Amino acid sequence: MSAATVALALRAPAVWAAAADGESRKFIQNLADTAMKTVAVKDLSDAERAARFRSLFVNTFDLPEISKLVLGRFWRPATAEQRTEFQKLFEDIQVYTWTRRFKEYSGETLDISSVETDVSGDAVVVSQIRRQSLGPINVSWRVRQDGATFRVVDIIVEGASMIVTYRSDYSGVLSSHGGKLDGLLEVMRDKVGQIKVS
Amino acid sequence: MSVLKHSSIAARLAASLIAVALVAGCATPPPADDKEAMADWTQTNDPLEPMNRAIFDFNLAIDKAVLKPVAQGYRWAMPQYGKDRVRDFLRNLRAPVVFVNDVLQGEPDRAMQTLMRFAFNTGFGIGGLIDVAEPGGIPYHDEDFGQTFAVWGIGEGPYLVLPILGPSNPRDGVGIATEWLVDPFNLYMDHIDRSWPVWTRAGVSGLEKRERLLDTLDEIERSSLDYYSALRSTYRQNRNAEVKNSLNPTGIR
Repeated sequence: MSAATVALALRAPAVWAAAADGESRKFIQNLADTAMKTVAVKDLSDAERAARFRSLFVNTFDLPEISKLVLGRFWRPATAEQRTEFQKLFEDIQVYTWTRRFKEYSGETLDISSVETDVSGDAVVVSQIRRQSLGPINVSWRVRQDGATFRVVDIIVEGASMIVTYRSDYSGVLSSHGGKLDGLLEVMRDKVGQIKVS
Repeated sequence: MSVLKHSSIAARLAASLIAVALVAGCATPPPADDKEAMADWTQTNDPLEPMNRAIFDFNLAIDKAVLKPVAQGYRWAMPQYGKDRVRDFLRNLRAPVVFVNDVLQGEPDRAMQTLMRFAFNTGFGIGGLIDVAEPGGIPYHDEDFGQTFAVWGIGEGPYLVLPILGPSNPRDGVGIATEWLVDPFNLYMDHIDRSWPVWTRAGVSGLEKRERLLDTLDEIERSSLDYYSALRSTYRQNRNAEVKNSLNPTGIR
């Protein structure tokens, strides 16, 4: 093997990674644009806004993976029904929290600065949300590629990972319910009832 | 009344903290043979959870009754221009502390930025009221003694909720005390025997910080099931990122 071939062979993965990085970047930019154009628009009923966000959310976020990571060690012993219900409630909580956020948005823009690849091979799209009078918010998006589809697996806001925070939050609830998943699901049902928009 | 030599306040506070700890007790660790539970316990880093939760509830009550309404009033009453001037002035007043920490962390470029900012803003920005350095291309950054200790390799220690001050840990708590003792403004005021400017500044800084955190804290409270756990996790992760200087506070690259 000539030196040139070796050099080429060594460089190839970096080139592929660069191509994937460009696509991850495009994916996040698209996601932000779509959200601003369809969800963050004025004069929308709460129910319509929630419905629009939900369809965007379930198609761009890897909810099964996120649910698994948030539940951590409590995922394995959970029954299929419990897992399904957890995922559904988690989705509802996300949809209603984000719907409320988008309702208050005005003139925010997303500015992507770089794309990094982390140890697990996921792309991390580093960005800032620029606001009109307040300071910017640092947001990184962990993006996983599966074939031609991209899915967000985590959002890191000002250094705090959504998954790590929720896992800590939910295991706090679990431990105050003796580690019983049904106890957590009960609390989640109440939460959905509280924040639900209709 | 001397601000800095007033150790009796600190002593009384420490004594009441210990009293609360004795009443509330420590959290019970999971059985050692449950490896996953043990890993979670280590990860959570909160052996004083019962005491912390008691102080947290106390803080939350004070916050709901006083701090948050005052911060909301400030947000409502003060125009954006005024808020920006207050923020710029307070940041400039803290610049010497930031500079010292830049140096102690072995960051000469960042130290130079802080020094230049302090010179420009004090000189041309009407005593620091207007941040002229940032639009001029010298972005602001923050540092504190807690972060410096971290850079020196000192661990955070167990999670700690401080009365009024909120989420912290022994390392960052000592950092706050150190800053209080070495801040040139505080030293000067102590020297001329004036304590009201020190307390006023502390109060306004706290108010300004609470106003900035209004939306963030509301969000965390609203989206979490257990506000205490969610805030603990967010604080520790955010602090970690601050120590690594991986967050960009200004949007200027």
